[in-house]
Amino acid sequence: MDHGLIAIGAGLAIALAAFGAALGIGLASGKALEASARQPEIAGKIQAMLMTAIIFMEATAIYALVVSLLLIFAF
Amino acid sequence: MDYWNDFFRALLEQFRPKLEMDHIGEDILHAIVPRSIGSIDVFGFNLIISDATVASWLVMAVLLVLAIYLGRKPQRVPEKKRQQLAETLVDLLLKTCRSSNMTYEQAEQVIPYVGTIAFFITLTNLTSIFKIPPPAKNPAFPIALAVITIIYVIVMSIKFVGLKGFWASLTYPSSALLPFKILDFFIKPVSLSLRLFGNVFGAYILMEFIYIVVPMILPGLLGLWFDIADGILQGIIFTYLSITYIGEVIESAHDSKHQKEEQAQVKAKMKAKALN
Repeated sequence: MDHGLIAIGAGLAIALAAFGAALGIGLASGKALEASARQPEIAGKIQAMLMTAIIFMEATAIYALVVSLLLIFAF
Repeated sequence: MDYWNDFFRALLEQFRPKLEMDHIGEDILHAIVPRSIGSIDVFGFNLIISDATVASWLVMAVLLVLAIYLGRKPQRVPEKKRQQLAETLVDLLLKTCRSSNMTYEQAEQVIPYVGTIAFFITLTNLTSIFKIPPPAKNPAFPIALAVITIIYVIVMSIKFVGLKGFWASLTYPSSALLPFKILDFFIKPVSLSLRLFGNVFGAYILMEFIYIVVPMILPGLLGLWFDIADGILQGIIFTYLSITYIGEVIESAHDSKHQKEEQAQVKAKMKAKALN
């Protein structure tokens, strides 16, 4: 197989996933900050929910990382 | 000046073989392949003892020593630092359990397992400080942990809400969601194990790469994040998610019970109105 194409594919995989995950985490964090600025008394609860959301968004980027590592080392 | 010229020439000659980019891929490949130290035959199965096995048994020994040291001679009013540390850690876990819909008694039942995986994963990820490859870079390790955890989650949630409550949590808010909720129990271990594996494996490869390319100063700085902070973070996330999974079942069982009671009340009112 062509190693150059595999390298481009691996790079694209992690780059696109990181773009999406970063966008999602940024949007969620921004909204969470807004919400806790409006209602500081439930800031703790919002932080807990934000953490759960961030874990799931971050997971997509990690799946892409696994895929791109597989592309590099398995082929 | 001649001295410096000689010095730089010698330095370049020393480092030129290391700077050639052709060998890096092979070196990293060599680093990520699991090394087997030996194998034993158990009932016809050939069990390989890999580096991950040795590292995780080492961590278990450290954990055992720590547990005995921290839990020795407990006092009613803690005066010693080690007991205060132990109580702070347990309290932290208790608070996390309480914040995800568990009662105090349920939280106390969950803590032994959840605390064990928390410290076990955190310490196994921290082995990379000592240049021991972390066991979680071997896919078998996170998969085994995730499968054990999801079985534990199902067993404990059945214990807490009963078989009926578990069924109710599967069919809440509507029974059309049942296949997806069952599918969820197969996706959860996959996502748990892939998250741990991907993070540790990625960090390990990056650190190996940096050790090969820039063997001075930089590995120490980047290791603060990739070896220490990331490892601790993954341990916390794994624990937090397994607590949340139990809490989810309890919450939806509770909600569905509440919904049924409300419906029964509405029906009773309608009946009373019809009778009047």
